[in-house]
Amino acid sequence: MKKIFYMTLAFISVCSFPLSAGALRGTAHFNGTPPAPQKVDMNADPTCASAHTEPVYTEEAAVNSNLTLKHVFVYVKQGLEGRTFETPQAAAVLDQKGCQYEPHVFGIQVNQPLEIHNSDATLHNVHGMPRETKEFNLGMPIQGMKLTRKFEKPEIMVKFKCDVHPWMRAYAGVLAHPYYSVTDGEGKYEIKDLPPGKYVIEFWHEKYGTQTQEVSIGDAGDQTLDFTYAG
Amino acid sequence: MASASQDTKTSFWLYRFSLLLVGATLLLILAGGLVTSREAGLAVPDWPLSYGKFFPPMVGNIFWEHGHRMIAGAVAILTLVLSVWIQIQGKQPWLKRLAWAALGAVILQALLGGLTVLYMLPPAVSIFHACLAQTFFCFTVALAYFLHPNFIPAQPAQKSSAQSPNRLALMTFAFIYFQLILGASIRHSSFTAAPHVIFASLVFLHVTLLAIRILRFHGEDKALVRAALGLGFSTVLQVFLGIGAFVFTRMLERGYEPPPAEIFFTASHQTLGAAVLGMSAWICLRARR
Ligand SMILES: [Cu+2]
Repeated sequence: MKKIFYMTLAFISVCSFPLSAGALRGTAHFNGTPPAPQKVDMNADPTCASAHTEPVYTEEAAVNSNLTLKHVFVYVKQGLEGRTFETPQAAAVLDQKGCQYEPHVFGIQVNQPLEIHNSDATLHNVHGMPRETKEFNLGMPIQGMKLTRKFEKPEIMVKFKCDVHPWMRAYAGVLAHPYYSVTDGEGKYEIKDLPPGKYVIEFWHEKYGTQTQEVSIGDAGDQTLDFTYAG
Repeated sequence: MASASQDTKTSFWLYRFSLLLVGATLLLILAGGLVTSREAGLAVPDWPLSYGKFFPPMVGNIFWEHGHRMIAGAVAILTLVLSVWIQIQGKQPWLKRLAWAALGAVILQALLGGLTVLYMLPPAVSIFHACLAQTFFCFTVALAYFLHPNFIPAQPAQKSSAQSPNRLALMTFAFIYFQLILGASIRHSSFTAAPHVIFASLVFLHVTLLAIRILRFHGEDKALVRAALGLGFSTVLQVFLGIGAFVFTRMLERGYEPPPAEIFFTASHQTLGAAVLGMSAWICLRARR
């Protein structure tokens, strides 16, 4: 009788856990004077230069006008141990457009396909530099070309670069779970459907480094977690 | 009489051709140095073709990487022509062998260059590629030295006196060659610069002693004096270029690409290094007389 009671309890708790999930939201504040934007000189490749009418700046320290930080990768670092998650079949997309990577920072799950596109009428090489899995360097000389890659192991972060156009850089956070987000043009992020529990959240920025915070997601639902980078 | 003058004429053109190879090789070393300095080594991900073509669009860093490959191709052809020419000319057997060795070195060098691309710049291969480049350059200097119309092979009975710069020249060459290995290691890996700096003082000391000895005891050999002065001046300049390269690569922060000043210092330090090595090799050969 006692056994059945515990089994029922366990069954209910397992079933209920996705139902009471909450969203984790927040903003990446930037404290200090934003660095002077560095202009990108695309004249070495006329196709790149002609793709832009406005000046282009490097993305490594993109501070938004509301003094928040863009391109911060936010993810659950601890608290999901022992759980397994389905690998998404839908591909994440990394596009090369106007001789820039789109997105500049993104998340992907282990073994999820990454589709790399070349939308430009020029040549790019996609140089993926994971340390946990095999490094690769692929030529993409034709407009409209697509390649697919996978990462077999989690890694924070996998760097991509184009050696033809030295300003081109992208970063992917490879995770075993789907709980990640990237801050946007207003410094905001949102991690949806996070099951209740205690977590360590890590924030990663290519120039300003990493920081962690602890958070508890209760049954009540949504939770806010802001953080600040000093410039 | 006519055939003797014909021979002299051919020898003269053979020598001129070997000088062309020396110049082209130094240009190739500069072009290769620019690939490293501009971080363009992987801009073309395939080898021996470039993006599946003989001639890809020369945009962005492809210009530097593919340009390096084209100059390399030209140097390989020049080496092949010179080697075959030396065989046909019926030169001394050891000179024929030296010519084949140079051809072998340039082919091996091309394969190493391919490996740096296909294996994405493994430090060991890049360092070997850098060192073999300058070793090949010394081969071309030696060929030009032996092909000089006034070259007289050393007499076997020649005695080595205390004033002979022979040993000192060889030691200087050995130190400079070791500097090449250290410098290449710094450039292609995170290897510390400290030993390179320490050995620089040893090179400097030996170059100074060698120049003094040549000026004191071999002042009548104008070519040797010129080479010694050239070596001394280049070594001083090389120290300053090295300091500049160190400051830019190891001390200053930088943006998404190396600034022009950094490219200048790193590429010129490397290329002048090759010239210094070549000059010391020439002095070694000349000092054997
Ligand atoms: Cu590109």
